[in-house]
Amino acid sequence: MEKFTLIGKNMKRIDTAAKATGEAIFSADLTLPRMLIGKALRSPYPHARIVAIDTSKAERLPGVKAVITAQDMCGDKWGVFRYTQDQQFLPTEKVRYMGEEVAAVAAIDEDTALQALKLIDVQYEALPSVFTIDDAIAAGAPQLHDAYPNNINVHVKIDVGDIEKGFNESYLVREDTFSAPEDAYFQGEPYAVVAQFDQAGNLEIWMPNAGPHMKAKPLSNVLKIPLNKVRVRKITIGGAFGGRSEISPADVICAFLARKAHRPVKIVYTREENTVATRQAHALVTKIKTGVDREGKVLARDITCHMDGGAYSSTGPIATSVPFLCMEQAYRMDNVRYNGYRILTNKPIRGMYRVHGRAFACGIDIQLDMIGAALGIDPLTMRLRNARQTGDYTPTKSYVASCGMTESIVKAGEKSGWKEKFGKLPPYHGIGIGCNSVQTGFPMGIRGGSQAFIKLNEDGGITVITGIVDNGQGNDNMVVQIAAEELGLTPDDVQLISADTEVTPSDPGSYAMCETFIGGNAVRLAAQDVKKKLFRIVAGEFGIGVDNLTARDRKIFVTENPEKSMSIAKAVRIALSRNESISGEGSYWPNVDPKREWVKNPYGQLSETFSFGTVIAEVKVDPETGQVEVLEVTAAQDVGFALNPQVIEGQFEGGVAMGGQGGMLSEFLQWHEGRVLNPTQFGYLVPLAIDMPKINNIIVETIDPNGPYGAKEAGMSVAMSAAQAYCGAISNAVGVYFHDYPITPDKIVKAIEEKKQKENAEVPG
Amino acid sequence: MKEMKRYSLTLTVNNETHALVTPPNRTLLEVLRDDLQLTGTKEGCGEGACGYCTVLVDGQPVRSCLTLAVAMEGRKITTIEGLAQGGKLHPIQAAFVEHHAIQCGFCSPGMILTSYALLNNNPTPTEAEIRRAIAGNVCRCTGYAKIVKAVQSLAGEER
Repeated sequence: MEKFTLIGKNMKRIDTAAKATGEAIFSADLTLPRMLIGKALRSPYPHARIVAIDTSKAERLPGVKAVITAQDMCGDKWGVFRYTQDQQFLPTEKVRYMGEEVAAVAAIDEDTALQALKLIDVQYEALPSVFTIDDAIAAGAPQLHDAYPNNINVHVKIDVGDIEKGFNESYLVREDTFSAPEDAYFQGEPYAVVAQFDQAGNLEIWMPNAGPHMKAKPLSNVLKIPLNKVRVRKITIGGAFGGRSEISPADVICAFLARKAHRPVKIVYTREENTVATRQAHALVTKIKTGVDREGKVLARDITCHMDGGAYSSTGPIATSVPFLCMEQAYRMDNVRYNGYRILTNKPIRGMYRVHGRAFACGIDIQLDMIGAALGIDPLTMRLRNARQTGDYTPTKSYVASCGMTESIVKAGEKSGWKEKFGKLPPYHGIGIGCNSVQTGFPMGIRGGSQAFIKLNEDGGITVITGIVDNGQGNDNMVVQIAAEELGLTPDDVQLISADTEVTPSDPGSYAMCETFIGGNAVRLAAQDVKKKLFRIVAGEFGIGVDNLTARDRKIFVTENPEKSMSIAKAVRIALSRNESISGEGSYWPNVDPKREWVKNPYGQLSETFSFGTVIAEVKVDPETGQVEVLEVTAAQDVGFALNPQVIEGQFEGGVAMGGQGGMLSEFLQWHEGRVLNPTQFGYLVPLAIDMPKINNIIVETIDPNGPYGAKEAGMSVAMSAAQAYCGAISNAVGVYFHDYPITPDKIVKAIEEKKQKENAEVPG
Repeated sequence: MKEMKRYSLTLTVNNETHALVTPPNRTLLEVLRDDLQLTGTKEGCGEGACGYCTVLVDGQPVRSCLTLAVAMEGRKITTIEGLAQGGKLHPIQAAFVEHHAIQCGFCSPGMILTSYALLNNNPTPTEAEIRRAIAGNVCRCTGYAKIVKAVQSLAGEER
């Protein structure tokens, strides 16, 4: 008998038929009786004092039902952490980026709402602005917030071992600087919110979210209503990629408008608003100094990183740490110092991104290539010599319980033909490698753990109740798959109630890659709780021990004698007739160090486990145009265990598109004095079907000791390592190491020109 | 605000006719979503770049966000709601589900309709032809690999 019936199989996702027919409802699709349309008025200034706001004309416009400004709120400041509370949902004193919300209206239709915005008279007093990291930290620079002198929002300092000693003992030391501008999420679904209040003062609200509980708490705080009156409802979500992790001003504005108008309100963002006024990914400049021995083993690293955080903290302390943490997990480095600074500028707010800190990850990796070239060691061997291993501790003291980094390097190398290709390809044809590691969930305050309930129906079917949210990656299916597997049911026997704060218990959210590991474990434990209770009943009826039973095919049978069985439905009915509870509960809190804190104490177990992966890319560059043709990409990742292999492949392939093809070739935001010049779909170049190369997927399984069935994260690592591999491959093809990303055709042509000039200059004569 | 003149319009959508009265500046997308509650058609960019609002007009994929509703009199419109018959998925929808070509699902209605039109016009497209046909439909989740596979699975023999 096979060990599993559903786990590890290519199970069809439970949610996709509804998505294929148009039946799946996204937030913007919702219509409620008497619903109004809400719109936000946005600041035309990157930095300005708000002198006065006159909304009287807008209020008098027929069809306008509510107008709100900061006066309608209590001036509360919100932040992910107590020490980063700095953002008002409608600012009272000043605006800090172009596009920040200053007022909002709800009207009977969109045209009326837009007309009303034009009638709101805001008097601003323009203030000097800062748009770059250098300008923001320069002496005498305009200050964004009193709380952050010199516009330094966050400083993360990590110092492990003895880097001076490490550098002194090094055979080769080099220092390089890497940079990249901001990238945008471009989720399929533009942001949208629908909110309504009932007579009892309960808020019902729908929006894309990466954790309904993460939305409910700030809503409760700012609306001054108890948490049990905030009902963030389940809704289909059109992608997140890190960009739906926090409360949005739109959520709060929509709720305030609905409360003031006593009617439901819907706000739907335009594509431009989604780009400018949700979150963006950080721009980054990082200086990396690395010392190695003769064999290329890293002995010391000293890294200084400046990230442009935009106008507010958002997830600042986390965002400033994660680029470093991914790389300290991926590669061994005993002596290391990291100084990460998040700098505030008068630009939109930056959050967490699936390809978080591309210049950081690419910098670490391409510098290994440079060092390898100087030592005569090929890039793949450089990775093998520095790869993280099972049983290691990371520099910041996380134990690595399972690690398939070496296996991923070796397998990706074999599949891609690395040995036959590296150094042997024709001119302008290159191959590159990148390795990365990602956390599998870290706690966010009290929402670090996940709970799940399971109730049984008379006919043996179950309903799973969990806070897990699905942003598109397939979390709903994962829950059903696990519950059905544990209880020997079919997916059809399982109903799911999820991501609804009125009903479902606490869960950290689809954040930091934690849902499978933390939420999945909770669901599995709840199912095991049910199973234990059912087994007790069946064992009693059969007069045998509970250890001798198995649940499969809707039956519970004697493992050694499968003929002897009882249907689950019958076991449920026996339980009901005896008034015996057979509902299940499960909860899971990851084994992490509660004393670890992003800024004050960045040491201790960060995440219970980590993923590890390697991407190898092969490219051809046209030296005349600088166009890059990607021939083939091989993605290998240690996912612990593949619960649903095709779902994981989908994550790999999507990761290559976002991190490699988009992140390294075409995606970046362009600016003019705080204004995004390319916020539209035509302006921001995301990969299309004709752009994508052939992708080889290699799933590496290390069976994590604590993951559900051994599983860990699968959604982020490939996206990051793909960026690194593309960077290496293009550098290899051109014969120039690139320091600034993405590597657009203009940069390639320039690099080729400069290389030629340099070579000509070196020719004597 | 001066009221815009309204026009009466008969719209044939998914083999049903709808008598509508609408101002001339409304897009087909707005009429489908707001008047007919056919919310399977999505708006992603409003400028004809993302392909999420794709519907079929006389069998050919069209951006409904760039199409005026009043220009659709007498045309045969198919939205994603019109593909499944009798509650049964159309083979192209089934192939998308089977091959994991759907993640978040926001692009899926447009992507499926474009693929459907391709297969009607060219029952045995090559991989390159599939990629070219769906190049006007953005997908942010899948990297397109499984979408191409789903369409290939219906393209006679896989090539």
